[in-house]
Parts: sequence; C-alpha cells; structure tokens
Amino acid sequence: MKIEVDVGACEMHGDCVMEAPEVFDLQDDSDVVTVLNDTPPEELRAKVESAARMCPVSAILVKD
Amino acid sequence: MTVTSIDVFDPAVYAAGNPNTYGLPLDAYEFIRDEKPCYLHEFHDPALIDRAWVISRNEDIWRVDRDSELYAADRGYVNAWKVTPIDPTMGGMPAMLTMDGAKHKEQRGVMAKGFTPAFVRELEEKFRGYAATVVDRALEKGTINFVQEIGHAMPMEALGDVLGVPHEDRPKFFGWVDTFAAPFDTRITPSFDNVMVAIGELLVYAGDLAELKRKHPGDDVLSRIVAAADVISEDEILGNVALLASGAAESTRTALSHGMHSLLRNPDQMAWLRERASDIPNTAIQEIVRIASPFTHLVRTATATHELHGQTIEEGDIVLMLFTAGNFDPRVFDDPRGFDLAREKNPHVSFGRGPHQCLGKHVATLEMKILLEELLQRTRSIEQAGEVSYIRDNYSRGVFELPITITAA
Repeated sequence: MKIEVDVGACEMHGDCVMEAPEVFDLQDDSDVVTVLNDTPPEELRAKVESAARMCPVSAILVKD
Repeated sequence: MTVTSIDVFDPAVYAAGNPNTYGLPLDAYEFIRDEKPCYLHEFHDPALIDRAWVISRNEDIWRVDRDSELYAADRGYVNAWKVTPIDPTMGGMPAMLTMDGAKHKEQRGVMAKGFTPAFVRELEEKFRGYAATVVDRALEKGTINFVQEIGHAMPMEALGDVLGVPHEDRPKFFGWVDTFAAPFDTRITPSFDNVMVAIGELLVYAGDLAELKRKHPGDDVLSRIVAAADVISEDEILGNVALLASGAAESTRTALSHGMHSLLRNPDQMAWLRERASDIPNTAIQEIVRIASPFTHLVRTATATHELHGQTIEEGDIVLMLFTAGNFDPRVFDDPRGFDLAREKNPHVSFGRGPHQCLGKHVATLEMKILLEELLQRTRSIEQAGEVSYIRDNYSRGVFELPITITAA
C-alpha cells in the first residue's frame, strides 16, 4: 500500500487525522497534511482507506 | 395534511415539529427522496430566494457538496434566505463560505490552524472546567430549560475561547447571531428590522475586535485572521468573524438539545451512554449530530447546465442540499429513524462533506463529549419536566425549550 497526497488540494480539514492518526498529522508549522508513513503496514489499510474516503477534497490516493 | 402537500420549507412545519420524529417532517422527506430526488421548489416569500433545485438523497448531497466546480459557493446566497451577513452579492461581507478555489483554500488555511484536532485537544482541560461550572449551576437550580442553561452556556464559553472573544462580550456576541439566525420566530426576532440591526452591530463589533487583536494578539483564531493581512482583507475579516460566530455556538446548542431530548425519549440509549460516561464513544456524538442536523440546508449555484435525475439544471440555477432529508435516507442508513448511539456506518451530512465542511467540527464534537461526560457522571437522573418546543424556522433547527429536572449523583 502506497499513499499519495495531493498537497495542492489539502485544506487541513483533519478528517484523515481522525481516521488514521498513525499515518496522518497536521503540524503547526505546515500548511498541508504531513504523511507520517507513506507505506503503512497492511493492518492499517481499513483506516487509511477510510481516511481517503472521508477527505472532503479527495486529496488522498491509496495505491494497491 | 398529506405528505405530498407538506412544504418542507415552511417555518411553521418546524415550529410544530413532531417530537417523535426529531421535530422533522420525515414522511415528507421520504416522499421527496423517493419520488422527486431533484425538484424545483418555489418559495413564495419575500425574505427567501425565488426558487431552488432541492437535492435530498444522501449520496447526491455528498456529490454536490464535493463538486465545487459544478456547484459553486461564490456566486451568491448561502441558504434560502435572501439576506445573510456573509453574502457580498446581497450587501454582506465576503467570507470563506462564499469563496471557492484558491481563495477559499488560502483563507481556510489561516483559520484551520486554530481548529486542528491536535490544537483542539489542548483545550480539553479548559472545556472540562466550563462543563463543571455549567453542571454546577444546573444542579443548584434542579429544574431548568436545558437549551439555555446547558446547551447555550457551554458552547458560548468554549467557542469564545477558540475564537478569542473576551468573556464580558460573549453574551452580546452570540446574542446577535441568535437574532439574525431566527428571522421567522417573533419570540426571538420581533421583526426583520431586528435582523438587519443585529447583522450591523455584529459587523461593527467585529471591526473593533480585530483592532483589539492587532494590539493584543492571543493564541486564538481571530488573532490568526488579523495576522494574515496579506491574504485576508479588512472586509473579509468582518465577513469571516460573522461566519465563525454564526457557525459556532448556536449549532452546538442545537445538537446538544436534540441529543438530550432523544436520550430522554430513549431510556435504553440513556442507560447505554451512562455506562460509558467516563469516555463517551465518537459513534454517540456522531449519532447525535446526525439526528440534530442543526442546519437544514445550504445552497450552491450551478456553473454549467447539466442533468440530474432527469431534470435539467441550468447554469446559474440555485441547488439546495437538504441535509435533514439526507440524514434519514434508508439508502445509506440502517433503521434511519432509530436513535442508535453505537451506529457504526454513519455518513451523515450535518457538517457537510466537501471543501466547505464545518471548520469547527473537531471543537464541537469535543465540547459535546466533555459536556455529556460531566453531566452524566454527576447526575443520578435526568427527567423531562415539560414539553419540548422548537424554533420557528426553515434553516436553523433550534430547540426553543426543553425543560428537565436533574438530580445529583
């Protein structure tokens, strides 16, 4: 599983952080989401896919 | 009255709402979703827009809300009201909710930093303090109107902190919002003149507050806004303050009030929540937000002529997302009329689901969680002490009165 984020779209809604805090974070010194781990372990798949689905601007892409 | 003749935008329908269906015309919504999922509603009221395409199915609302290219927010109107303080096409001041694209992203970015999950978590202790005070006062009185004494008091203080409104100004600040947010309820807003006066006073105050924040910045959203003068103009400061005020306290009060009423109507759910009062699960908060649907709708403008459910929506037509109908759609909810605090699959649209979704959702959910934890842990019983009654409005889903009696644990 590989995560790609469209940083041009990200508006810091924070839904991904609520769904998968192991993978996504909003940090005060950044204007877009920080991906903590762009190749997360398989057991986080459900959370990551939920984060992608919940993103209001569809900025998260999960590959394979 | 048959379901086919109910006007789901008549303020009287909500004023006389059935307490057994969350105060909502759920049968009429069902008819609309099933029989005319995209229909042109004519309003016939000088205070309201002329007409709008009404979208009522949950999945359609998700789609419209997320497609800001086809359904724009920056071409006038916020809801079915002709006048709002943040609509520049009708004399209001520009704000995030009436912008799209890069401009929206830029401004939202400034404010979003004051609302991130991590930032909000740091407020938890302060919120617990407010919740304790609110519950103390309620216990002293014993029998209260939940809406005012608890539902109103908690968000006013919590949002006052987040936004940076000085303590002594909070009652008047949120009072103006109550006045312009209930233009059809003469108990709150005697005439439309009051609406215009309240909007004017709020905007003047917003200017004074911006001045104060420039001189004495704090760790709050208003200070962030005035510090971002390169991307937020003077008029946009006023508009955004009005927007934040409008979205802040009233909606949380409404959600808490409908939530409490539903708990009183469903003793099994109240018992379930009491068992979990030391750490209320998120599913419970989301279910309360779903059934409350604090705002019935918002509108967008079509940017191109297109078809939806066999209807032709022309460029420039207004498209209305009826959130209250989408939140009870059996296409996506199991037992949509049931109140189920453990509901796992809950794609409600109360906060919106697109780029304009509620900026304060993380604050609101935390506030509600903390307040309910405090209230349930410190009371032995909560009983309804009179009839529930609702605000007369077709947009704000406020509860007017919910009398309760609480007994200390």
